[in-house]
Parts: sequence; structure tokens; C-alpha cells
Amino acid sequence: MTATTAQKTEAQTSNTPPLHVENLSRVYPSGEGQVQALASFTHTFPPGMTAVVGPSGSGKSTLLNLLAGFDSPSTGQVSVGDVNLTTLSEPARADFRLAHYGFVFQNHNLVSILSAQENVEFPLTLAGLPPKERRARALELLELVGLKNRAGHLPNQLSGGEAQRVAIARALARDPGILLADEPTGNLDSKTGELVLSLLTGAAAQGRRVILITHDSEVAALAHHRLSVRDGVVTAG
Amino acid sequence: MKWTDLWGLAWRGLTRRRVRTGLTALGITVAVASMVIFLSLGEGIRKVFVEQLGGIGPDIQVSLSGFTQGFAPQPNLPDKAVTDIQALAPELGIKTVTPVVMTIRGSLEVSQSVVLYGLPAVQGIGAVFPNSSTAQGRAFTSADEGQGVAIAGAKAAQNLNLKVGSTLNLNRRSQAEVVGVLAPESGLVDNFIFLPLSTLQKAEGAVGRVSLVAVKLDNPRQAREVATALSDKLDLEASTQSDFLSFVERALKISDAVRFGISLISLIVGGLAVANTVMMGVFERTREFGTLRAIGARPSFVRALVLTESLLLSLVGGVGGVILGLAGIWGVNLYTQNLAGIDAAALTPRLVLLALGISLFLGLVSGLLPARSASRLNITEALGRV
Repeated sequence: MTATTAQKTEAQTSNTPPLHVENLSRVYPSGEGQVQALASFTHTFPPGMTAVVGPSGSGKSTLLNLLAGFDSPSTGQVSVGDVNLTTLSEPARADFRLAHYGFVFQNHNLVSILSAQENVEFPLTLAGLPPKERRARALELLELVGLKNRAGHLPNQLSGGEAQRVAIARALARDPGILLADEPTGNLDSKTGELVLSLLTGAAAQGRRVILITHDSEVAALAHHRLSVRDGVVTAG
Repeated sequence: MKWTDLWGLAWRGLTRRRVRTGLTALGITVAVASMVIFLSLGEGIRKVFVEQLGGIGPDIQVSLSGFTQGFAPQPNLPDKAVTDIQALAPELGIKTVTPVVMTIRGSLEVSQSVVLYGLPAVQGIGAVFPNSSTAQGRAFTSADEGQGVAIAGAKAAQNLNLKVGSTLNLNRRSQAEVVGVLAPESGLVDNFIFLPLSTLQKAEGAVGRVSLVAVKLDNPRQAREVATALSDKLDLEASTQSDFLSFVERALKISDAVRFGISLISLIVGGLAVANTVMMGVFERTREFGTLRAIGARPSFVRALVLTESLLLSLVGGVGGVILGLAGIWGVNLYTQNLAGIDAAALTPRLVLLALGISLFLGLVSGLLPARSASRLNITEALGRV
């Protein structure tokens, strides 16, 4: 990270609520026994990009599900600023995600019946923004990811890399403080993957907490911070 | 999210599988159309009675047993009742008293069925049906009483191919010559054939007996009071026009219930088709719903989206059903106009509202289960992650 980027990151940190996990664990029932998917873990995610690395089945996705509030922990809590995500009701969690989180999935997960622009607009539509405002914002973000000329195309008319860039634009639509990316380059060729990563790095440089789940050490090397997960145990570095 | 955005999204959700959605909507269309056609028969008959008979029949109809014998009672009332009623006329404000014999001449061929209506020739048809007018031939005169003469309603003349001068067989021994044909009134009267009272009594072996006595009042607004007085004094059933219409309404309501019951079967099948289509849509889009939930959609949004799809699908089918039903009604009326000169089916505003209301109800009920499933899905499972 360059000195300038670091300064910019620090400068914008104050606007982003801190993400903290306390004694977080997840145990799944399995047959007559139990599987410890995530051992007790306490951590404060700093601004910038944090890579969570580990082999398949190590517990990376379990961690992401808990951080996002998709799943409830067996013990501990996830806090964003003063809000304990774990204790919120389903609708309140959804509202909280809409306001503070952005998501980039491995398979872009765009809504197939909506155009690229409408997909980017969708979180803004959910938030009740007027059509004019959300269109302007969507086009601004599509321009940022270099796809303004593809605004009217449906997901099946876009390449994998283009669809993933639209997904990043969607994730940034509400200018969230936290961006969770689950293997965002997993299905992309190296050149397209680099483009996607540069967009995520740019998002992190603006002071967001970008948490990147990956099993690729080269991708992880681009992050400011690093967590390793093995057999459900998370360690720094 | 605004409701326009929600309906737009639901519409696009439905149109992604055009053939499946189209076929399901067609199923609802056929179900609703069959219900509309079935129920329109009741509406049409109700309209005919209210608009045609209600306006022109007698103020009071006196018979032995009211409407329990149906529209045309047997001639079982002694004609002494006529003189009894005439005796009460000054006291009760009765303007005219007309003895009537009615008999239905049925046939295996529906169009050949007519009502034979006997009334005193001297009083003429206008005594009971003041709006009638002769289109061909002549009206009854006092000299016609007891003679074999008849005046045919427009539709009866057309169906039985009767013209002035034609011979009408009343039975093996009795015949009547058609001396007049009435102008069409687009009502049930068009299917009547009028005969002098004593001619029909003789032909039916009902000399000295009548089916009913039609009473016109000086003040028709007093019909209820006069009918009650006649019933009390003569120990007979005296019914007003409103009694008759109530009787028709009761009969139609029973008939409506039976026809609605039959329609219900197709509506249930249509509802199941909607439920199946919407449920399939939910299964196919589990990952998409998971994504929507992940990026901030509340469970209630997903539930509303699926319910809206179901409602839209049913509404489209319902509107199609009303349009198809209208075409069916047109076909039914073409047949009944040709047969009896009446529009037996009618699409009334309340029937349209009922059809659309039932469509929406069907959509709501059919969408409840898929909507519940979609809103309760587990995000991690929906996204394909454990």
C-alpha cells in the first residue's frame, strides 16, 4: 500500500463503522455428533482490504455468513459500530445489510430478468430512492466499472467478467462501509480477475472494510491485512 | 419499495417463462369464463323478469296456491273466485278483474314450446299486458269468446311458423285459427299464444276453473294491502308483483348456487395451476431470492413479490375470462334470442366484479404457500453455500 493510499484510508475511516467480532463460533450438528465449523474468534476488522485465506471447507464461508448476518453464531456476536447484528430480527438485519453492506459473490448472482443498470439500481429501489436519482447513481457506478455502454444488457448478454463488474457496481450502490466478497475472481481468467480486484482495491482505498474470501494466495497478497483459516481456527497473518 | 416497482418486477418475473405463464393464465381464463357464462344465465333471466314482467304484469295475482306450482299454475281455481273478487272491487279499489287460464305446451324441441294464455276476449290482451300491440291481423273482440281463434306472440309465431290464417292445434279435438300476431316486445310474452278464456278452458277440460285471477288496482301502490285483504277474505293466495319477483329471485339464487358450485370445480383446478406455476417459479429462483435477501430485501418483500406474481397471473386470467365469457354470453344470447326472443344471459357489473374478485382471491390463496416458502428460505442454502 502506498503512503498516499494509506493516508486516504485513514482519512475516511471515521465515516465507516467498525466491524468487530467477539468470541464468535459456529457449530453444526452432524449425524449424532457436531462439527466445529468456526472456533471461538475475536477480531476487529480494520479499514482497507482484509483477505481471509484457507483451503476449501476450512470455515471461510462460515465466517462470511456470520459477518453478513446470513447465519447466527453458536456463541459470540458480530457488531457494526454500536449495533449487535446477532440480536437483530430478520427484517432489521435485512435493513442493516441494505444500509451498511455490499456483497460480491463468486457467481455474480445478478437478477436474470433485470438489465445491468436495473441490477445496480436494485438496492436503491429497495431503499425507496426516486427513479431519477437511482438511475443517475447506477450509470455513475457502471461508468466507474467501465460498463456504462452495457447498461441495458441482461446478465446473459454479459461476459463473466462484465457480470462480476456489474455485481461490484451493485455492491457499491448504497456506498456501504463494509464490502464482503466471496471468491470474486474464482470463475474469471487472470486478466479479468485483475480488473475485478483493482475495483475492490479501489473500494478499500476509499476507507471501506473490504473482506475478501479467497483460497488464492496471490489474490490474498494484494490485501492490506490477512487472516488464515484452517479447520475452523482463524489466525492473523 | 414502491408498489409500481413491485408490480413491474412481478410482471417481469412472470414473463420470463412466457409459455408456462400463458398456459396457466389460459387455464384461469377458461375457468373464469365458464363461471361468468354459468352465472350470466341467472343474471339474464333476472333482468328479463325485472324489466319485462315486473313492468307489465297484473298488480295482484290470485291463485289457489301462490307460486308453489311455478310460473303457470294448473287451472284448479273455481271461477266463483272471480265473482267474489269482483264483489270486493269497490271496497278495495280494484280496477279490473281478469280470469286467466295458463298452460304450457311443451315439446321435445325447445323452440316448439309455448305458453297458452286464456283470458276473456272482451277484455283483450291489454287487460293484463297493456304494452302489447298487434302487428298483423286483429285484436280480440267480444264475439271471439268461445270461438277457435288465437293471437300469437311474435316469437311463438316465428317458432311455430304461424301467420294470420294459420291453424293451431290445441289438442286432437280442438283447433284455433290465428287471427293476429303481436309486435315483438323482447320479453317472455313473445312466447305466449293468447286464446279466449272459454276456448282454452274447454280445450283443457277446465270449464268453470281458472289458473289465476289477474287484478289491476286503481292505485298500484296499495298492492300489498289489497293482496293481504284478498287473502284474508277469500282464503286464497294473493300475490303482488314483488312477491312474484321475490319468488323468481329465490329460485334464481338456488340456481345460482348450483351453477356456482359447478364452476367452483374449474376454479379450484385453475387455482391449483396458479399455485403450481408460482411454486415452480420460486423453486427455480431460489438462488435469486437468496441474493435479494442477502443484499437487503426483507422477507416481507420476497413474500409480497411472489404474492404479487400470483395475483397478477390470476388477474390476467380473470380479465381474459371476463372477455371470453362475454363472447360466450353473446353466443348464448344468439341462441336464446332465436329460441325465445330473450337475452337469457347478461354480463352485469356485479358479475364482472365477482369474476375479478374471485380471480384475485384465487391468486391470493394460490400464492400464499409459495410466498411463505420464498420468504422463509435460508439465505446461505439459497445462495448454494453451507
